[in-house]
Amino acid sequence: MSLRANNYYKAQSLEDAYAKLQENSKNAIIAGGLWMKKTGLSYETLIDLSELGLDKINEKNGHIHVGAMVSLRDFENNPLINNLFSGATAFGVREVLGPAFRNSATIGGSIYGRYPFSDVIASLLPLDVKLVFYPKQEMSLEEYLNFKGKLNGILEEIIIKKEEGNGYFKKVKATALDFPMINFSIVKRNNKNYIAIGSRPLTAALAVKAMALADQGKFKEAADMAAQELQYLDSINISKEYRQDLVRVYVRRGLEEVNK
Amino acid sequence: MKLEFYLNNTKVVWDVEPDEYLSHALRRHGILSIRIGCDETVCGSCTVLIDEKPFLSCGVLAMKVEGKHVTTVEGIQDEANRIADFFAEEGADQCSFCGVGFALIIHALKHEYKNPTDEEIRDFIVGNMCRCTGYQSQLKAIKAYLAAEGK
Amino acid sequence: MGKNFKVVNNKTHSVDGHAEMMGRAVYTQDYEAPGSLVLKMLRSPHAFARIKNIDTSKAEALNGVKCVLTYKNVPHVAFSRAGQGAPQPSPIDKFILDEYVRFVGDEVAVVAAINEKIAEDALKLIDVEYEVLEPVLDYKTAYKSKNVIHPEDGISQAFEMGFRPKDNVAASYEMEVGDVEKELAKCDVVVEHTAETQAQAHAMLEPHCSNARLDEHNRLVIYTATQTPFHIRRIMAQTLGMPLSQIRIVKPRVGGGFGGKQQFHCEMFVALVTLRTGLPSKMVYTREEVFASSYTRHPMCITMKIGADKDGRIKAIDCYTLSDTGAYGEHALTVFMIVGSKVLPLYNKVDAVRFGGRVLYTNHVPAGAYRGYGAIQGNYVLESAIDILAEKLHMDPVELRRKNSMREKETSPIFEIMGEGTKGTAMIMESCKLPYCIDRGAELIDWKNKYPRKQVGPHKVRSVGCAIAMQGSGIPFSDMGSCAITLQDGGFYMVRCGATDIGQGSDTLISQIVAEELMTTVDKIIIYSSDTDLAPFDVGAYASSTTYISGNAAWKTAIKMRERLISEAATMLGVKESTVEFDGKKFVSGNKEISLFDLSNKLIYSAPQHQVAVTESYIGHVSPPPFMAAYAEIELDTETGEYEVLEYVSVVDCGTTINPMLAKGQVEGGIVQGFGMAAKEDVLYNNKGQLLSNSFLYYHIPTTKDIKKLTTEFADSYEPTGPFGAKSVGEIGIDTPPAVICNAVYNAVGVRINTLPITPEKILKAMKEKAAK
Repeated sequence: MSLRANNYYKAQSLEDAYAKLQENSKNAIIAGGLWMKKTGLSYETLIDLSELGLDKINEKNGHIHVGAMVSLRDFENNPLINNLFSGATAFGVREVLGPAFRNSATIGGSIYGRYPFSDVIASLLPLDVKLVFYPKQEMSLEEYLNFKGKLNGILEEIIIKKEEGNGYFKKVKATALDFPMINFSIVKRNNKNYIAIGSRPLTAALAVKAMALADQGKFKEAADMAAQELQYLDSINISKEYRQDLVRVYVRRGLEEVNK
Repeated sequence: MKLEFYLNNTKVVWDVEPDEYLSHALRRHGILSIRIGCDETVCGSCTVLIDEKPFLSCGVLAMKVEGKHVTTVEGIQDEANRIADFFAEEGADQCSFCGVGFALIIHALKHEYKNPTDEEIRDFIVGNMCRCTGYQSQLKAIKAYLAAEGK
Repeated sequence: MGKNFKVVNNKTHSVDGHAEMMGRAVYTQDYEAPGSLVLKMLRSPHAFARIKNIDTSKAEALNGVKCVLTYKNVPHVAFSRAGQGAPQPSPIDKFILDEYVRFVGDEVAVVAAINEKIAEDALKLIDVEYEVLEPVLDYKTAYKSKNVIHPEDGISQAFEMGFRPKDNVAASYEMEVGDVEKELAKCDVVVEHTAETQAQAHAMLEPHCSNARLDEHNRLVIYTATQTPFHIRRIMAQTLGMPLSQIRIVKPRVGGGFGGKQQFHCEMFVALVTLRTGLPSKMVYTREEVFASSYTRHPMCITMKIGADKDGRIKAIDCYTLSDTGAYGEHALTVFMIVGSKVLPLYNKVDAVRFGGRVLYTNHVPAGAYRGYGAIQGNYVLESAIDILAEKLHMDPVELRRKNSMREKETSPIFEIMGEGTKGTAMIMESCKLPYCIDRGAELIDWKNKYPRKQVGPHKVRSVGCAIAMQGSGIPFSDMGSCAITLQDGGFYMVRCGATDIGQGSDTLISQIVAEELMTTVDKIIIYSSDTDLAPFDVGAYASSTTYISGNAAWKTAIKMRERLISEAATMLGVKESTVEFDGKKFVSGNKEISLFDLSNKLIYSAPQHQVAVTESYIGHVSPPPFMAAYAEIELDTETGEYEVLEYVSVVDCGTTINPMLAKGQVEGGIVQGFGMAAKEDVLYNNKGQLLSNSFLYYHIPTTKDIKKLTTEFADSYEPTGPFGAKSVGEIGIDTPPAVICNAVYNAVGVRINTLPITPEKILKAMKEKAAK
């Protein structure tokens, strides 16, 4: 079924967008708008945020402020992002389909949807990331992923703390145009190891116990722990067991890499 | 809804549906070069340029291009003709349903990279599927084309 | 070899590539008539059900809906959608619309409306009450299941093909040369190997589409993305009870077919709607419909038993095959028979060979024609078994192949016994450079140094694998192609032919063949093909028939044209024909001469004022197989089972390459499509029989990143029965990758993966099981 909507509205401000969103439960914010058609839903009004200047990336006080409407392509090519964690964050985002897709897809849309298969979320999760919503509300990316229920606000900005360190990203996939069968994002910042594993097929999460073992230099043990402490499920194209096998290999390799 | 934008450098005013994607709007207005292969934002056949960057027109709502410059292959005929020469030279044109998308992505590649490596070329065109050629001849054609244009 | 060619076997640009790449209106959808009704299909949500009630009144009442078709208001005539010649070698088992639905995605009702949204809305207004039946989802247990997929009356077979619908059998066949059991008992070494293949999707980029209108004389004109315009016309006329003369099928450029467009898809529905409403109509499958509601490759389970003496002489091969044709029997018999007929003759020095098995109906997406057509399935299992045998014999697998495989001037009894659903045709291999292909490929991949494996890192191993393959060139005494050439004033040629260009480049190579014979250049040839009103008959693009059959027809016609031209020139010059020399541009006899340009103008405008036109047809008497040897080097991660192909080497004997670049494109495109089947393209069904891999997001065809390097060479070969020495090249490329990858993985880590695709997960699991032993 093709996408259905009766109106298209270009919001003039976040306030305006928010008011429009509250007007009707069948109104919706569009980010990139790529996969709206895949939902099979009917909408009353589609609310476009592209005129609100949310497509900028700036550095302020040691933090990178990324507007929600920044395209994945602009994000991955931005020098501030490219310099993060030996390029691993940008690399993870670059794993999403082709550049023409990533020119449409937005960082906000990728995060707001909390897609379990998201390479964007996995890339960002080990970093210190805050999400800013309108009306004023802030929470960390991890809090948002664990947040139960539907958030009413509009994702406005993503704030990434600029830190030094090594990074590692690995997406296991059939081809470059595949969703991840599982993905790994590992960074070392502040002398601590952060390990995020996504598409298990559950949404990306940090392997906290494994991180503690990694901080003691026990990489193999950490990898084994990561395979135990998080939940892994069977999917139709990959078994739980194989996912865990991959965790034991790639978490170890990633930790070795970021601790070089 | 009224939509004003620049199509191949000419200002147009179209009536489009609020839920209509650009690929459909373009074809409905006679731009038949838009080849819709999957209509689910994967195959790359419907690639267009928006403000010189490549986009999948099946993934862009028509209303999103308000005020923007949209380039289809009609807007880069000379270049498409030259690219087609290089494709023909390598036998890289079989059914060519992907060909228009390739012409546009190669145009964008040329703008974004000076001397792309093999890997950069493969990464840049990875979203343009081809089921006929096995890609090898296309990669050769692209490299030869970029080398010739660089001269 | 052969002659000193000027046009064929020389680099020639495709005649159509520029128009396609520059975005001109060339494909079926670009020819929709203005104001066409949009057709949408209501599809079955059940794998197997009977429609108890269907109420379309609400849909019909919706403003903008012009027509709704269900089984109740369309002719109840069984036909085969296979798109084959006559008599049709597939069961006649499909009704235009039926009260039974036999797979998730099967056709329930068609809505025609003034736009897509209304058509979609109307689908939701159709009330259907189903009696849900228990489906058959595993072909290995489908035989004589209590759940009968085709219990209905009115279905039939055109000749005896073992069609037993009450047993869920679409077709069956068996043959034996010599006494296999006896010969196997005498062998020093016998290996038995069973493996399974999946329902690969064609994944051509242009979705299935057709559009129809009535012309000014009320004739039905259909533009459609098809490989078989003439078969579509014939079968449509028979099924709808119309005279053939009232139907015109036009095939514009086609965005890839690979067999998928040999069958009917939208044609019957746009025809019915346009005939009923008098309005033009169009239908375009969504990508999901292309995956879940068209056709797939036949999944198969094949057992090969091979016996050899201790010196490595293969003495007997026994092949048993079960094939899954899905809900309908398109190509059920013929694909299945190719598992024997275009695979087993590779090892022709046997004393006995047996082939048998059956093709079962299931409630899955129907299978149909697909490049490779049984040969790829058979090749995967046979060529894996050959490697197993080599290991048992402590022989190098390349050596074992070299010793036992087909050579020039040899034959196999299978050729005479097995044909395309019927008896075959005996033939000697007039051209077979397989031994060269094997040696040259081994040299290119550096087999001597790389076989079987090298450790290149703590968890990385590189290995090589190989396989050989053969295919055919058209179907003897069945496939016919024809061509018509007229000399135009101005001294150029109009070539009309039935050969069906689906992107493989047949318009280009037919132009080359004509240009070569008429000693001219391709720009002097205007080619028009595949329009049932304007082009002469051709069976269409299938069975690797275009270069050989249609090419021979074009060659024959061009020879005739040359003779006619010389005769016309002789008359005009007042000399004997035997004294006239023609170099493509002018005719010379002694001191008299006339240019082709002048001749062509005089013929039309002065005397004798007639059109010089010739038509010829060609029917194959043999089907000379192309051969190839393939080698791959892979790098495998021993901790994860992930691997990538570093290089794939193909050395092909397809006779003369009419267009070397297009021939290479056919081989390489086939290799990568075959690699997709071997390694990537997982077909996923849920337990209700619903296809889940129904999108490019879930069904993964190879991308630019998946093969590092393809090395493709052609053997110097000349097929005396082919046009300028050519054989086919359209399918041979796809056959080897499953076996090559399987063998390379085995050589890397000692595990053999016996279901496709060969995924990292399967490899790692097998490695663990092996280590546990």
